Amino acid sequence: MVTLGHYLIVSGILFAIGFAGVMLRRSLIIIFMSLELMLNAANLSLVAFSRFHVQPSGVPDYNAQVFVFFIITVGAAEVAVGLAIIVALFRARQTTHVEDINTLKF
Amino acid sequence: MIPPPSLEIAVLVLGMVILMLEAFAERIDKRILAFATIGALIAVLIGTWFLAPSPAQEQATGFWSFYTADPLSIFFKRFALLTTILVLIMMIDYAPVVLASIPSTKKQTGLGEFFAIPIFTCAGLMYLVSAIDFIFIFVSLELVTISFYVLVSFTRHNPATLEAGVKYLVLSALSTAFLVYGITWIFGVTGQTNLQRITAALANPEIERGPALFGMVLVLVALGFKIAAVPFQIWVPDVYQGAPTPVTAYLSVGSKAAGFVVLLRVLRPFLMLPQMERLIVLIALLTLLYGNLAALPQSNLKRLLAYSSIAHAGYLLIGVACFDGPAVTFYLVAYLLMTLLSFAVLVIVAQQTGEEISDFDGLAKRSPFLAFAMLIAMASLAGVPLTAGFFGKFFIFYAAIAQRQTALVVVGVITVACGFYYYLKVVRAMYWQPAAKVDNISVNVLSRLAMSALIVAIVWLGIYPAPILEALRR
Repeated sequence: MVTLGHYLIVSGILFAIGFAGVMLRRSLIIIFMSLELMLNAANLSLVAFSRFHVQPSGVPDYNAQVFVFFIITVGAAEVAVGLAIIVALFRARQTTHVEDINTLKF
Repeated sequence: MIPPPSLEIAVLVLGMVILMLEAFAERIDKRILAFATIGALIAVLIGTWFLAPSPAQEQATGFWSFYTADPLSIFFKRFALLTTILVLIMMIDYAPVVLASIPSTKKQTGLGEFFAIPIFTCAGLMYLVSAIDFIFIFVSLELVTISFYVLVSFTRHNPATLEAGVKYLVLSALSTAFLVYGITWIFGVTGQTNLQRITAALANPEIERGPALFGMVLVLVALGFKIAAVPFQIWVPDVYQGAPTPVTAYLSVGSKAAGFVVLLRVLRPFLMLPQMERLIVLIALLTLLYGNLAALPQSNLKRLLAYSSIAHAGYLLIGVACFDGPAVTFYLVAYLLMTLLSFAVLVIVAQQTGEEISDFDGLAKRSPFLAFAMLIAMASLAGVPLTAGFFGKFFIFYAAIAQRQTALVVVGVITVACGFYYYLKVVRAMYWQPAAKVDNISVNVLSRLAMSALIVAIVWLGIYPAPILEALRR
C-alpha cells in the first residue's frame, strides 16, 4: 500500500537532488534543469497532499491541483526568459560555464 | 467609485498598448511612449483615491478570498505606482546608454520595450500587495520576478549586465523553488492556501506544528532573497552593480517593498510560534552587521548602494521582528524617497564621468543642484535629523525599545554610526575634492522637477512626519 509518506519521501529526494544539482554542477543548462526538478518535487507533493486530503464529501481537495497548473505555467515562462538570457550569454562569451562568468567581483 | 481590481487591469492594458506601439509605430520618437506611460500611471495613481470599498476579509468569497483592497494594500499600490513613475523618469535620462548598447540599423530599436516592461512589473507589484492567498502571492511574485529578469539583462551587449542577469536568474529561480516547496508543506498541514484560513487552522491545537514551521522557514528563505537579508544576499552586490542603473533603483525599492509587505502578511498566521520571532531577530542582526561592515571599503557607488540596501533591509527587519507595521511602512516610504533620489543623481553623473565615488569629485562646482540632491539623499540614508531617514530609524528603534529587544537596539545604533562613515565619504568627494573636469552638467526639466519634489518630500517628512502616520493609522 502506497501511503502519503512514500510520496513525500520521493518528493523530498527529488528536491534534494535538484538543490544539489544547482549547488554542485557548473553548467548553466544543467543548473536550470535542476531548478525545474525542484519545482516538480513541489508539484508531486502537492498532488499527493491533494489526493490524501479527502473532504467529507469524498472529493479530493482540488485547490492544490490547480496550484500545480499555475506552477507549470510559471515554470514555462521562467524557462522561456531564462534560456533566452543563457543564449545571449553564449553568443557574447561562447560559454555557459559558471566559472567563466566572473567579471563582477569585490 | 472604481472597483479596486480595475486599477491593475488598467495598468496591464497600458503595458500591452505600449508594447504594440513599440512593435507597429516605428516612426514615432520612443520617448513619447515613456511620457505617455508616465501620464497614464499618474491617472491610475489619482484613481487610487476613488476606490469602492471591498468586502471584509473574514467573510470574503470567490475573487475576494485571494484579493483584498485593505488600507495597507492601497497604500502600497500608490507606493508601487510612484516608484514606477520615478523609475521611468530615470529611464528617459538613461535612454542614450540603452541605445548605445543595442547595435541596430533601425532608429531607437528596443527602447519602447525598456519603457514597457516596468509597467508589467508595476502591475505585478500592485497584485502582490493585495494578495492574501499563497497561490496568488506566488503568481504575482513571479510576474514581478520574470519581468525583472528581462530588465536586469536588458543592455545585453555589456558583459557585466549579462552576467548580472544570469546571476539574478539562477538565484531568483532557486528562491522560487523554495517558496513553492514551502507553500506545499503549509498546504499539506493546514489544507488551506488562504492566509486567514491558515491562521484559523494553526490555532487548532491538534494540528502538527513542525511541518508547518518547516514550510514557513522555506517561505522565509524565498522572501529573504527578495528583501536581500543575510544569508541570502549573495546576489545583491553583483546584480545591483551590473544591472542598468534605473533597473537597480527599481529592484532596490519596488522588489524590496513588495517583499516586506508579503512578509508582514505571511508572518501573521505564524506569530503564535515562538521560534519564528527568534529566527527573525537573528536574521536582522546578521543583516545589519554584514550590510554595514561590507559597505565600508567600497569604492564603486552602485556597489556601495547595494550594500546600503542590505543594511536597510536589516533596519526594516527590526521593525518586522517587533511586528510594527506602521514603523516598517514609514521606513519604506523614507527609503523610497532617498534611494530613488540618489539613483537619479547617479544616472546623470555616471553618463558624464563614471560610477566610482572618485567620479563624484568636485560635483558641487560642476552642478550645485545635483550635489545638493545627493547631499540630501546621503544625509537621509545615514539618518541625519531633519530628514525622512531619521524618523524612519527613530520609529523602528522606538518599536524595538518598546518590545525590549536590547540586542537589536544596540547593534542597530552601532551600525548607524558605521553608516555615517560610508555615506559621508560621497559627500566629502563632492564638496571637498577638486574636480577632474570643469564643464557644467545639464539636467533636463522633468528630472529636475522630480528630484526637487523628492528633496522637498525628504525634508518635509523629516520635520513633519504626521501626514504619512495619519495615512497609516487609518
